[in-house]
Amino acid sequence: MRRGTVGFALYNLLVWALVLAVVFPLLWMISTALKPNDETFAIPPTLIPAHPTLEQFRRLLVETPFITYFLNSVIVGVCTTLLVIVVAVAGAYGLVRFRFPGRTLIAHLVLFTYMLPAVVLLLPLYLTISAIGLANSLLGLVIAYTTFALPFALWLLRSFIAGIPVELEQAAMIDGAGRIRAFIEVVLPQALPGIISTALFSFVLSWNEYLYALVFINVDDRKTLPPGVLTMLNQNQNVEWALLMAASVLMSVPVLVCFAFLQKHLTRGFGAGSVKG
Amino acid sequence: MLEPQRRDQALGMALLAPTVLLFALLIFYPVAQSLFLSLHRVSTLTLRTQWIGLANFRALFADPAFRISFINTLIWTVSAVSLQLVLGVGVALLLNGRLVGRSAARGLLLFPYLLPTAVAVLVWRWLFNDLYGLINYALMSIGLISAPVPWLSQSPNAMITVILVGTWKFFPFVVIAVLARLQSIPESLYEAARIDGAGRWAQFWDITLPQLAGVLSVVILLRSIWDFKEFDLIYLMTGGGPGISTQTLPILVYRQAFQLLNFGRGAAVAVTMFGFMLLFFAVHVWVTRRREVEA
Repeated sequence: MRRGTVGFALYNLLVWALVLAVVFPLLWMISTALKPNDETFAIPPTLIPAHPTLEQFRRLLVETPFITYFLNSVIVGVCTTLLVIVVAVAGAYGLVRFRFPGRTLIAHLVLFTYMLPAVVLLLPLYLTISAIGLANSLLGLVIAYTTFALPFALWLLRSFIAGIPVELEQAAMIDGAGRIRAFIEVVLPQALPGIISTALFSFVLSWNEYLYALVFINVDDRKTLPPGVLTMLNQNQNVEWALLMAASVLMSVPVLVCFAFLQKHLTRGFGAGSVKG
Repeated sequence: MLEPQRRDQALGMALLAPTVLLFALLIFYPVAQSLFLSLHRVSTLTLRTQWIGLANFRALFADPAFRISFINTLIWTVSAVSLQLVLGVGVALLLNGRLVGRSAARGLLLFPYLLPTAVAVLVWRWLFNDLYGLINYALMSIGLISAPVPWLSQSPNAMITVILVGTWKFFPFVVIAVLARLQSIPESLYEAARIDGAGRWAQFWDITLPQLAGVLSVVILLRSIWDFKEFDLIYLMTGGGPGISTQTLPILVYRQAFQLLNFGRGAAVAVTMFGFMLLFFAVHVWVTRRREVEA
């Protein structure tokens, strides 16, 4: 019995040490973000800041265009998500509940486009978006982000809606509800957790996106966070790592908030083979 | 009886119309345009196109830079996927024991996967910094190296570093997928094996691994597809350098099209990648079909 207890403790210690090792870079990010500039280069490095300060965050918000990048990212993320959810809820419902020619083909196409590399679409999308005068606009980015967020949302919502028993709709329709009313009053509430998960995932996907944002936006005040913050990295001869780590922390917060909401749905989403990376 | 599945086809198609329209405009049309551009010489200034057949592809395949990028893509994809797999399965097996706070551990392990690639890259470039990075400092203070190692500015260090960071960023996907499957393996299988006198190894080889085969084939395929087309992580870590020693096919597309402004050549690389994706997709359809038949 004693050996079992020791083994149990050792096992827990080992696994938790491993978990901490994996998240260590993120602890280091937070630690660096709380240091004044001169402490960043201290030798030996301090794991816990000797003089913790919020100075980097203040400078980030006041002296750099960080807030502009942040707002642009929010606008693009929210617009992409709204557009994609409205289209994908209707589309996924159509795919799951109706039979018509070409239905399987469409389902396969959704999966294929979901796997399509962004670089395949990059050049033609850039040419088209420039041609219609949307280069350097957030709307242009929303359009580009639809190319990956829509197949993703369709794929995820399809599995959620397929999990709703069709009998519920049949019952509503026997009670005299039309097809559309049955959809709104029965299917939508049932699918709501799935819709919320899909929306949060879509938001995170566009929040994290870098390549389209890099190519489509060339003016500073329309940049989103990933290319914006990386401009800050490449701008200076002396890289201010503490400032960049502060930016990294703030960039991560919305993702972690979404993730906190998603916790309980995560396993299911992964099970559907769905989370993109 | 009412049968929603067979009624009003028209409504079903109307519901799908916006999806189909967006797909046509934003995905199929650009793919076709990529094909078109890859067969033309494109003037960057006027965007006037001139049919040149397969000349872009011939020039591409003769270009050593293409071959190097292709080999880099293979090295990156195969190494990163293998390491993610080994680490992911290992960690999933560890988490599957009697761990205190397992869901917290699972949540923490997901962080690298969920955070923006830009954040992961910034943190790791800071850790790998030549002069002030924590990694060089730690390795020097335990005496493993005597001088700072240029992790990102020398070959082959840069490729190795990128693969390690890619492994760290993406292995949680494997953990979550495998852990979910592990938890659904019936305990009775192990009990029966123990009664038959099977040791831990035998249980792993004869029960766990065969039970994981299905999920592993899908995970390997998805991770291969995603790593094959990965742009952000590699480009942000090294920009494809030093030289072109970490330049993969997606970076080559970007360079040809947006730095060298050679649209036709860039499109030819993109179309080549598209061909590989078709291949991956065919395998994926085949694997999932087989799994459905088995299940």
